[in-house]
Amino acid sequence: MTTTTPSTCKPFYFNTSSHLLRITAQKATTLAEFLDALRACSDDSIFQHSFRTLQEHHFIREGFSNDFAHWVFASCNEPSLAEQLASVDVREFSSLGELRDRFAQIVERHLQLDPRAGTHIAGEPFYFCASDIVVMPTNLVAGTLQEFAKGLREVSVHSIHHHFIEARLRLKLTSNDFSLWLQEDVGLTGTARQLDRIDIYTATLEGVRAQIVRAVERALI
Amino acid sequence: MSLAKTQNGKVEHDEVGLPNQPSPPSSTPHQVQAPSVRTWETPPPLVPAPHLEDYQPIIGAAEIDELRFLARELKGKTIKMVNSTAVGGGVAEMLDRLVPLLGELEVVAHWDVITGGNDFFEITKAFHNALHGAEYQLTDAARRIFLAYNEQNRQRMQFTEDMVVIHDPQPAPLITSRKDSPGHWIWRCHIDLSSPNPQVWDFLRPFIEQYDAAIVSSQSFAQKLPITQYLFYPCIDPLSEKNKELDDAFVQKVCDEFGIDRSRPIVTQVSRFDRLKDPVGVVQAFKLARRYVDCQLVLAGGGASDDPEGALVLKEVKEAAGDDPDIIILDLPPWCALEINALQRASTIVVQKSIKEGFGLTVTEALWKGKPTIAGAVGGIPNQIIHKLTGMLVHSVEGCAYQIRYLLTHPAFAAQLGRNGREHVRENFLMTTDVRRWLLLLRISLQNQRS
Repeated sequence: MTTTTPSTCKPFYFNTSSHLLRITAQKATTLAEFLDALRACSDDSIFQHSFRTLQEHHFIREGFSNDFAHWVFASCNEPSLAEQLASVDVREFSSLGELRDRFAQIVERHLQLDPRAGTHIAGEPFYFCASDIVVMPTNLVAGTLQEFAKGLREVSVHSIHHHFIEARLRLKLTSNDFSLWLQEDVGLTGTARQLDRIDIYTATLEGVRAQIVRAVERALI
Repeated sequence: MSLAKTQNGKVEHDEVGLPNQPSPPSSTPHQVQAPSVRTWETPPPLVPAPHLEDYQPIIGAAEIDELRFLARELKGKTIKMVNSTAVGGGVAEMLDRLVPLLGELEVVAHWDVITGGNDFFEITKAFHNALHGAEYQLTDAARRIFLAYNEQNRQRMQFTEDMVVIHDPQPAPLITSRKDSPGHWIWRCHIDLSSPNPQVWDFLRPFIEQYDAAIVSSQSFAQKLPITQYLFYPCIDPLSEKNKELDDAFVQKVCDEFGIDRSRPIVTQVSRFDRLKDPVGVVQAFKLARRYVDCQLVLAGGGASDDPEGALVLKEVKEAAGDDPDIIILDLPPWCALEINALQRASTIVVQKSIKEGFGLTVTEALWKGKPTIAGAVGGIPNQIIHKLTGMLVHSVEGCAYQIRYLLTHPAFAAQLGRNGREHVRENFLMTTDVRRWLLLLRISLQNQRS
């Protein structure tokens, strides 16, 4: 037996996004400068170094989950601060302002405990970047759960990132486009919850795609 | 030209290399044009450039579709690319592939090359070195010659396209045509600007500031400028002779020709003989590592014939190698892309122990071939090698030696680095990603113009 979406439900349109990297004026050579720049940089920069980097390095499971943590570890030799920054899960934030505050609080607290750490010159500076983003449609539209599973298998990882990771900022919810559609338009609340529990930090984006597909296929049985 | 095995077993080539020439494009992906009737001593025949569809097995149908969607709104839009050479060097090689691919997507790309006398190109060569940080005294005469040739080219050219892209400093003053042009003007700088000679940079900066945006190859090359600066990583073409898949029989043939034993680990550095690539340091690292692990070293490069310094460096490398039969030094002519490809594929580990580097496309090539790669943490290399994830970064001869030992004795870890490295290149450093960036830039530029 196959599950079909209710006849009145909206189809799911698979979109994707592409981005162009910009180098901004902010640059940090010490942790103190880093904290200042973290507070002053654009939301786009926070997005780039936390959300977007997950896409650029989607094939890696290990290592630090955002560029800030990676730089603090590799160039500042501050493993404990790096671990704290890496533990920030972008999915818990529905606004970039809140995410920025969280990163800044962690660095600020570290520098309060060890003020000398703020003046050490890093091995390499941190260059704050940002992205210009273009959102595009794809050829894939799902009117049924089967078509949804097919679309999930066929879209690029950029599309998976767009709907599953970036979406929470658009939605201002700690959820994603796929879960929202499954819950609100198909009525599969359990499957939607399963998707929300997928750990994007311990899997590659292809691994995330495979987990989403498996959850949807289970709902088809 | 000859290939000779020396008394100590080293294979040497007595004709020095020429400057880089563009790799002849391949006609079909994943197909070896086995050079059965040619040897590495003669240039291969030219083959037609690949089409967009040829990249589908490499990046997937969805990614090709995304390029088409991105280009849909740009149908009929035009780009002019201007650089200083039609053949030779990475920029010409890149434009040779980029222009037809944009055309396939119905974005019309025109490619124009500036002309100049020897006096002009001597000055631009000096500018190039000075922007890399070399000492240089900029004279009034040099300024006059540089500007006069640019004015001559400006009067000859028309700039009616939607976007005009000027590559590198040589044609930068063409921006003075902007007032008569409807397009968006971009300066694409391919060189390392991290510590430019202030005289030359101060002379060029007023021109650069008139552009709408600049593009650099690494964050560390960005300058304080009042215009937007984009980051475009250099890229490789996975279908070029240097990077396409090869039949193992061809790889074996190349190794046999050069006296390389594939039954033992092979450590390779591919680079012209240049001190900034630290080939002597590689020999030292190899000798340190070999105290613990069995391996051979292949140093494959060129550039020793047209460059007196290259010949001197080659001599130093030979002296450092001594009579070690496990060190194979190859000074190859510039058309040996297939042979370089085979050497990289035969390697157990690839090293790029540069002391200074622009981006390091030989690192990209090695990563694309899934090779565990050890490289100096300089220039654009850390953008490619994320330490312990996509390769190993080193800062010294000793560090390089240790990583050679470690990777040779931990093959599973080395293989994982290789897999990650290849995916990193697939996502960020392939020609198709470059096409995507240009399409994005054109779309964003046109949107900005409208708003």
